[in-house]
Amino acid sequence: MEFEEYVSARGQELVRLGFTVSGDYQRAEDLAQIALMQAFRAWRKVQRADDPHNYVRRILINSYLSMTRRRSFTEAPAAEIDTETTVPDPATDIVNSDDLWRALARLSARERVVLVLRYYQDMDDRTIADLLGIKPSSVRATASRALAALRKSRQSHRVDERLS
Amino acid sequence: MSKTELEEDLRTTFERAAASVPLAPDLASRATTGVRRAQRRTWLAAGAAAAAVAVVAGVAFSLNGSSAPVAGSPSAAATTPAATTPVTTMQTLAGSWRPVRLDGFTALKAARPDDPLLTFNSDGTWTGSDGCNGLQGTFTIGQRGEFSARVGAQRLVGCDNVPHTAILQAAKRIVSNQATLQFFAGDGREVARYARAR
Repeated sequence: MEFEEYVSARGQELVRLGFTVSGDYQRAEDLAQIALMQAFRAWRKVQRADDPHNYVRRILINSYLSMTRRRSFTEAPAAEIDTETTVPDPATDIVNSDDLWRALARLSARERVVLVLRYYQDMDDRTIADLLGIKPSSVRATASRALAALRKSRQSHRVDERLS
Repeated sequence: MSKTELEEDLRTTFERAAASVPLAPDLASRATTGVRRAQRRTWLAAGAAAAAVAVVAGVAFSLNGSSAPVAGSPSAAATTPAATTPVTTMQTLAGSWRPVRLDGFTALKAARPDDPLLTFNSDGTWTGSDGCNGLQGTFTIGQRGEFSARVGAQRLVGCDNVPHTAILQAAKRIVSNQATLQFFAGDGREVARYARAR
């Protein structure tokens, strides 16, 4: 597969992945672009990989995590999900979803990445561990911690609603 | 809330978030253009660095006294002594030299009874052979390589006589290092080149 073909087929997916981890539309495009530029530089190597898309996703995720480790990085508040461009889904509880989206923004970058890879990219823990260069047990621990934080956030939100 | 319900909400939230991302146009061209620009900048920087290294190396090489052009190279005849060339002194000139190229003389490799060497002595005298006659004389070197020579009496046995004396008399400036000796005429033209005899 040539680079242009790959971008045409999977480029937008990368931007979406960038948005789900960073919560910022502009940063999502930047991350996709960084990942694609790096992939283009080493395209022969990417092509030879077992799963080229996984290779590029790894670049994107690692770029994001590197970005968040920089002293100059300021965590962007999660952008409100633009409901006008969202595919309408009558079954979706939009209010719940928006609350959860805001709660996700309060997690650490690694916790958020693990949840995105697990629940949006449907990766198993071993694949996530391989992508992040950590042990599967660390992935499980991080996910567990993140889910606990989200549950806690939701419970306190509901208490607040009842009290108000 | 059960874990499964939260997980299901997470999937939904991520899907909604992903679906809200506007289409990013020209991703491929932006990525390739960025890389190609960066590569161009790298090549330019590498070229500039290589040029700088070449200049520094050239200067260092000439300061080391090894900058004389290779004997017989096309540019050699037109070379003039550069400002950075080392100053030739009695000490650097002292010793025997064999001719490599003499302006207008093409029979250097002809068989002769004697080796056509020139020997400069640190006392300001020189001796030598044109291949079949002994030569001798005196010479002086100025502070900036100005050169003059006097030729003493000599026999005139005929052979393919190497015209050392004509060169010495035509030379106005010399440049030498450990391996090479060059004579230059008043107009800056190289008239002869010698290599140190082993």
